[in-house]
Amino acid sequence: MDLLAQILINGILLGGLYAIMALGLALVWGVLNIVNLSHGAFIMLGAYLSWYLYSWAGIDPFLGLPITAVLMFCLGYAVQRGLLNFVVRGPMFNTLLITFGLEVVLTYLAQLAFSADFRTINPSYAGNSIPFGPIVIPQARLMAFGIAILLTVAMWIFLLRTRLGRAIRATAQNLVAARLYGVDPRHLYAVTFGIGIGLAGVAGGLYGTVSQINPYIGATLTAKCFAIAIIGGLDSPLGVIVGGIVLGLIESLAILYVGATFGDVASFGVLVLVLILRPSGLLGKTT
Amino acid sequence: MPSKAISFSGLLAGVALALAITPASAKDIVLGASVQLTGSSANTGRYYKDAYEFAVEKINEAGGVKVGGEQVKLALKIYDNQSDVNLSVRQYTQLVSQDKVDFLLGPFASNFALADSAISEKYQIPMIQGGGASDQIFSRNFKYIFGTLAPASNYFGSTVEMLKGLDPAPQSVALLYADDAFDVSVADGTRKLLDDAGLKTVMDEKYSSNASDFNSLLSQIKSNGAEAVLVAGHETEILNFVRQAKSLAVAPKMYSFTVGVPSEDFRKALGADADYAYGMTAWLPSADNKDKWFGDAAQFADAYKKKFGYDPDYHAASGAADVEAFAQAIEDAGGTDPAKVRDAIAKLSFDSLYGKIAFAENGQIDLPQTVIQVQDGKVVDVYGANGVINKPKYPMPAWNAR
Repeated sequence: MDLLAQILINGILLGGLYAIMALGLALVWGVLNIVNLSHGAFIMLGAYLSWYLYSWAGIDPFLGLPITAVLMFCLGYAVQRGLLNFVVRGPMFNTLLITFGLEVVLTYLAQLAFSADFRTINPSYAGNSIPFGPIVIPQARLMAFGIAILLTVAMWIFLLRTRLGRAIRATAQNLVAARLYGVDPRHLYAVTFGIGIGLAGVAGGLYGTVSQINPYIGATLTAKCFAIAIIGGLDSPLGVIVGGIVLGLIESLAILYVGATFGDVASFGVLVLVLILRPSGLLGKTT
Repeated sequence: MPSKAISFSGLLAGVALALAITPASAKDIVLGASVQLTGSSANTGRYYKDAYEFAVEKINEAGGVKVGGEQVKLALKIYDNQSDVNLSVRQYTQLVSQDKVDFLLGPFASNFALADSAISEKYQIPMIQGGGASDQIFSRNFKYIFGTLAPASNYFGSTVEMLKGLDPAPQSVALLYADDAFDVSVADGTRKLLDDAGLKTVMDEKYSSNASDFNSLLSQIKSNGAEAVLVAGHETEILNFVRQAKSLAVAPKMYSFTVGVPSEDFRKALGADADYAYGMTAWLPSADNKDKWFGDAAQFADAYKKKFGYDPDYHAASGAADVEAFAQAIEDAGGTDPAKVRDAIAKLSFDSLYGKIAFAENGQIDLPQTVIQVQDGKVVDVYGANGVINKPKYPMPAWNAR
């Protein structure tokens, strides 16, 4: 019983980490209709940025997250403005190709710049845990979970309540009408992509604090984010949290009850089920 | 936009050029290899490229290889297989069929050596590889594959020996392993070793290669109370395993890992959390290992560190020994005829920086594994063929008591 409770806690906390990783991907996908295959590579860059902030400048990885987010936002803005805006209205295949290419370029540039050495962001408290009876709650994961919830809710409010957020949604829903109301789509696209990449940066910093960083972590993370976005649905940031937690729980339980090689089988199995039964995601609007 | 595209492609072209190394003159003896210089195994792959280059350079400095009264230099042709097995098979095919290299050096990792040795066998060009330890590679009666890593099945041999003598000896063991050729071989061998030693196995679990989340497995270890945990996996997995063990406060009496502990960057990445972790190595940079070209293993390690900026581990020593084995075998055979050199390799028996090079009937070398442990950030050899060397720090204290 203790074991099951512990596994459930593990799964939920893992889900929080998954959610923050997928949040940016889902936003960009939902608003810009770009499936950003380089999302994982940006998570990797964010992780390195946090690593340098921590190891070289001595900035605590959690306190450094806003810096990482802002720098990654700028990078994302520039990439959208200078590259993706040229193809954003083209066929989806073009954006897939470009973002895939971007993933390859970023990954190999990262190896040139950072070498293939493994790194971890390892402040003294990173491995601390909070005992809770027979159950143990890893502190860093709990903090990451908290940040995931916080950012998701902030994102939800931003999209629903602020002028900029409404403009972003309006552009996604009806480009012509949005233009008539004075929205500059190129700028808005870049802001949206920037936010997506900023979120990827935050996810990277958190990932480096609980896991390990090397230039090649991107591709698998993209696949995971993709699954979460599909499971949760693209309509609302809350769907991403649900998708992340569902995936985290399913993986953890599959490893416990079926076997440790079945984590991915289970998660992608769920992906297929969701695509068949609820194509717009667990929290998506059925059409 | 266009200028961006040009600068990217320029950069890629530069990278491609940089990889075409060491121009060979017509008379050189060319050793070909396909190594993981990029991709997920690049971190260990670099040991092989650096070791091959270093050994070739050193042998050439000493005049090269003596063939029929004439001194001939060695040359290298290395491709980057991007950590892709299929690409590495194609590159080995290209090395023998188009580049016409004389002999083959190996890639890193068992699954690569397993696939690539089919090429050396088909074309009957000897391959000496120092990166694949799986017993599978040598169980197919291939005649042209030789390996300088000790058999995977016995990686935990000395560790299990040590476990029996610990005070108090662990009452239960958990065995975790990744689902690739090397780690499955390790697990098959270890299972038998544990049975023979009469140690009780409470968990025997295979996991997916590249898994990043070990929380479920660690929670099970905590729940079943395994006192010794043996993990056969890859460095990234083991980094995650140790970090997550700490964050879940899982502290068995000891844990040991097939890889990681001997590598400098593994210990750097974990910092103080690497302490108490056990591993094994068939090679330590000891001055007892005399070498014709490098003096001894200690001098090799110093010169290597100076040249490449990081400490060599057994992968690097094994790679350097492969080049030396070819140099020695070519001299013994008195020429570069592949079949004659193959027979000379099979008969080799010489001392190297890596230890005594002498291959068994199946083509694999047998070296005892020394158990090592990280103690206060340093690798200490704790148990070898003759028993305890330095006292192991046992049992591992709880994480909050360190």
